[in-house]
Amino acid sequence: MSTRKYTKIEGPTIDSVPLIYKHKIPIQKTYKFWEGLKEGKIFATRCKKCGRIYFPPQADCSDDFSSDMEWVELPKFGVLEAFTKVYARPQGFDDVDPYVIGIATLENGVRVMGWVDPPDEKCVKVGNRVELTIRVIKDRHIIYLRDLSCT
Amino acid sequence: MRRVAVIGVGQSLYGVRSDVTMQELAWEAVKEALEDAGVTQRDVDISVVGNVGTRGYELMPAQPVNDYIGMTPKGPIRVEMACATGLVALTVGYNLIASGSAEVVLAVGVEKMTEVDTPTSLAVGGRAGNYLWEFHFYGTTMPAGYALYATAHMAKFGTTEEHMALVAVKNHYYGSLNPKAHFQHTVTVEEVLKSRPIAWPIKLLDSSPISDGTAAAILASEDAVRKYKIDTPVWIAGIGYANDTPLLTRRKDYTTFQATRLAAEMAYKKAGIEPRDVEVANVHDAFTIAEIIAYEDLGFVKKGEGPKLIAEGQTYAGGKVAVNIDGGLKAKGHPLGATGLGMIYELTKQLREERSGPRQAPLKKYIALAHNVAGVGPVSYVVVLRR
Ligand SMILES: [Zn+2]
Repeated sequence: MSTRKYTKIEGPTIDSVPLIYKHKIPIQKTYKFWEGLKEGKIFATRCKKCGRIYFPPQADCSDDFSSDMEWVELPKFGVLEAFTKVYARPQGFDDVDPYVIGIATLENGVRVMGWVDPPDEKCVKVGNRVELTIRVIKDRHIIYLRDLSCT
Repeated sequence: MRRVAVIGVGQSLYGVRSDVTMQELAWEAVKEALEDAGVTQRDVDISVVGNVGTRGYELMPAQPVNDYIGMTPKGPIRVEMACATGLVALTVGYNLIASGSAEVVLAVGVEKMTEVDTPTSLAVGGRAGNYLWEFHFYGTTMPAGYALYATAHMAKFGTTEEHMALVAVKNHYYGSLNPKAHFQHTVTVEEVLKSRPIAWPIKLLDSSPISDGTAAAILASEDAVRKYKIDTPVWIAGIGYANDTPLLTRRKDYTTFQATRLAAEMAYKKAGIEPRDVEVANVHDAFTIAEIIAYEDLGFVKKGEGPKLIAEGQTYAGGKVAVNIDGGLKAKGHPLGATGLGMIYELTKQLREERSGPRQAPLKKYIALAHNVAGVGPVSYVVVLRR
């Protein structure tokens, strides 16, 4: 080990008055997406006017000022574009084991993020085929990308 | 549009600074910048205060900062653009002068990041981009976002963990020569490779630290440069900026940052220069892979040749282009709101040839470039400076 020299100038401190935020997030316009997850389905929206598929789902198409959208279910298979294994977990995820986040391109070109199974960065590879599933982790429905070359 | 010069710069010691509040810290850079320019607050028309502030207890930080630094009753304009806040503050100041609204502007960036613990810091940074569709489900973090780009770049171009480690080795070497750096020690490739994983393939020593710090710049019109008898003004030759979707799943390519390519193109065009004209640059190396991709996106090399550039040592002073020879975000530190202005601080010193030995880039054209990115690449600012 080289000698470590870093800046750390410490002084006495006092505690602030704690402030806790807990938000109510509106899901009315994307309700079918949230309900779909419970049935193991992943829904995107498609603009009826121009055909653009929005994922994550959007209620409005900013391309042509239309809000006339329809729901479409996403395909169940794709190819991994990028991944990482998160060891340094943020507040809110500190009680789960290190997880692998991946991004996959589905058969219709739409990209989704998900947690990769198995969470093994030595086996998971960019270009591997993945199957999409839904699992419940801590009351939240999470998209999983099952690496078909690692099972 | 009128010409705008940087006439004074200041920067605090970056690092863990629990000896000072945000306001007290900001004054360290403002005082140095005012003294460097030879002006006082009375000569400044308006202040721009850059602060991300998401980790602080002052939720509306611009007012207490502006008051403490003695700018009342003038200003402030508060600026926030995540990690790119510093160069956005510079751009606001530039526009105020270029448009004729002001003659002298103070741009100050400040950040206290170490008043909360690391898991809180990761949870705040992970909310960058789009909370609901990323962090809420998948616990994304800032290092995880860059690590996605790392695995894509590795798969496409054969980039290795060793290539990334070489960036850390270079930037720590320069940090060891910078008495204002957060990290002032060298590291070896082996130490980087053996450091603990943060978001594989990114390891602790691939990552910029969580820093407290501040930096400031005094900007002036040509008239003000004459009025205050500035002998070595550094001119802002061109500013480029661009945006990309913050939603990672809507990006086209994970080996390049579109916002940086577009911002660089705009900055080069406005400055009337080519990428090869840049002699010294400070690029946004929040993680080592980001510096490698920046070489490519800024046009220093062709796509995919970033790893080769660092492997050949061409980004040390004396090489093809000197990059982050103050230690960069990696070793000098990354106090979000201050970072971009900390680049302007260093590059102004470089263009005035106030550094010495290995810390001074050899200059013929006197052209420098600063590159400041918000989050995992959705916003990018590129500034070209000329003496
Ligand atoms: Zn449409």
